[in-house]
Amino acid sequence: MNSFWALSPLLLVVLAALVVLLLEVFLKKETKDYLAYLSSLFLAGCGIILMIFWDKNYSYFDGNFLLDNLALVFSLLLTLATILVILISIKYISLQGANYGEYYALLLFALSGMLIMVSSQSLLIIFLGLEILSISSYSLAGLRRENPESSEAAIKYFLLGSFATAFLVYGLALMYGSTHSLEISSIIRFLTTGTHLNLMLLVGLGLIIIGFAFKIALVPFHMWTPDVYQGSPTPVTAFFSVGPKVVGFAVLLRIFHFYWETAFHTQTLMTALWVISVLTMVVGNLIALRQTNVKRILAYSSIAHAGYLLIALIAQDPTSLIFYLAVYLFMNIGAFTAVTSLGRKGKEYVELNDYSGIGFKYPWIGATFAVFLFSLAGFPPTGGFLAKFFVFASAVRKGFTPLVIIAVIASLISVFYYLRIIVTMYMKEPSPSMQILTRNPVLFSVLFLCLYGVLQLGIYPGNVLGFIRQAVAAMPLL
Amino acid sequence: MIPISYFLILSAVLFALGMVAFFVKKDLITMFMAIEIMLNAANLAFITLAKSASSLNGQVIVFFVITVAAAEASVGLAIILLIFKQKKSVKTEDISLMKG
Amino acid sequence: MIELFLVFLVFGLLGVVLVFMNKLLGPKKPNPIKESPFECGSPYLQEGINPVPIMYYMVAFLFLLFDIEVVFFFPWALVFKEMGSTALVIMFAYIFVLVVGFVYAWKKGAFKWEL
Repeated sequence: MNSFWALSPLLLVVLAALVVLLLEVFLKKETKDYLAYLSSLFLAGCGIILMIFWDKNYSYFDGNFLLDNLALVFSLLLTLATILVILISIKYISLQGANYGEYYALLLFALSGMLIMVSSQSLLIIFLGLEILSISSYSLAGLRRENPESSEAAIKYFLLGSFATAFLVYGLALMYGSTHSLEISSIIRFLTTGTHLNLMLLVGLGLIIIGFAFKIALVPFHMWTPDVYQGSPTPVTAFFSVGPKVVGFAVLLRIFHFYWETAFHTQTLMTALWVISVLTMVVGNLIALRQTNVKRILAYSSIAHAGYLLIALIAQDPTSLIFYLAVYLFMNIGAFTAVTSLGRKGKEYVELNDYSGIGFKYPWIGATFAVFLFSLAGFPPTGGFLAKFFVFASAVRKGFTPLVIIAVIASLISVFYYLRIIVTMYMKEPSPSMQILTRNPVLFSVLFLCLYGVLQLGIYPGNVLGFIRQAVAAMPLL
Repeated sequence: MIPISYFLILSAVLFALGMVAFFVKKDLITMFMAIEIMLNAANLAFITLAKSASSLNGQVIVFFVITVAAAEASVGLAIILLIFKQKKSVKTEDISLMKG
Repeated sequence: MIELFLVFLVFGLLGVVLVFMNKLLGPKKPNPIKESPFECGSPYLQEGINPVPIMYYMVAFLFLLFDIEVVFFFPWALVFKEMGSTALVIMFAYIFVLVVGFVYAWKKGAFKWEL
């Protein structure tokens, strides 16, 4: 249905960002907490609007901006992730010397870019959304201006990110050249009306996939990930590990969704994705084994998880892909929240040695962090287990048994480094010099919310799965 | 009338040159210029293909790419300036705090 | 035709060879005075390229942004007649966002030359 209301969630987010920017320069208050609460309020409103729009299928700009149920599920996930990240940053940015109100505005702009990406039907608009996301991300990575690591993260992210953008634009050009359009629906029409699988189209699609592979950190396009994750402020790392990944897979789902039937029978692309998936899982998990920085370990773990997610894409199973992304959101933001909580003014604890004895010294942080790590490793009864189970089961059903065997071996390897953190937390003597700020109620409530999410999705996933199934059923042409 | 394929080959060569320069050069500003060359190669391809399809869409897309590149340039140059203020250098070998 | 080509080939190659012969056979005795930018006897007073004030970059970045964003006015002007009032609303929304950015930069002190 054509309606201006389709734009309202997006406009609300942009409006919130502009209001935050103006308040920051006009009020000039010392504490920025009120900006955080204001932006989460706006985002909560945006989330409520998204829920009201369920099954309504609003669209605008001649159907180019479509809020179908699939877009709504992704938008809700992204909005939730942004709210959680905003809440855990409140104390952090003032403790770690990044106390700028622009922080929240940049997060909101990044969110608006992602909302554009998941609900747009035109590859050009998807590209513009991606750029809004990327440019905000480059600034967010370098937000601790006095910290040389943060600036390094920003420049690495910027150079490799815009390198990927160039690939994406060239891919779009070739795609436009062979189909004379960048709207997904006309590309589908072009592909279904004839056997025009020419070289230009295939190269264009390959370049577009490379562009997105950079964003979701698939091996061999993952080089930036560990450095950027290590150097960025920790809540921003949590955002990077979830936001771009969810949105990248959302777009790949939309692209492949029309391409599955046509291209996957030709096997070229399929084989390439198969190889990338195996490389991502194996390389990510193996390099993680010899890391000593917890943020780097989590970075390589997020690379490995992109590999598992790619299996869901190869197995053509959107339901388990979205379920995996939902679980991944809770467990990864939860893990980074635990890392964020271990800090005081001007000091952060991110080396593995700092974690010795945390389990006894700060029992709540230790216990919840352990649950998130178990979930990332895929132990029952956490959500991580069910998510992996669904993905692997549907891959076996579609006849990708060798891929699943490699994936299972890779996740067995991953257990080592997750357990290494837990062992350090519980089996070593605490170091007396370690002091953290424990009065941070907002952060602890986020920690427990993520814990609830991981366990709820692991023990009783029925509700969420029902919603996801409805969303997938509404996808056109499947 | 110059054939369409000449322009496409030119844009592919420009793109490849940009890619090579990105990997070979050891200077942040030059690497950034390499990326700009790649983006402009893509723009050339867009205009050429729009001409061959005799549609205006492709030329409008170029406007978008140009603005995006400008926004990226100002953020990127600001980051490079930040690096220069901290290290007094814009060489890649001086940016190696994080390894592993 | 072929003679012309040969002439270019032979003399071109000769030029290249002579340039590299010079590099290979010439004596090399560098000393600090020879390495300096001017060999006229007086020591140089400052570096060739001086850093410009940081505000110069600020103004340049802002100019780049606001200058390029205005490029969207051209396609808008082309379709203005067909779209009518919708086009006007869209352009005002666009300008509003630009103005917010401008006000932000202004209040932040980006246009003050002295820090």
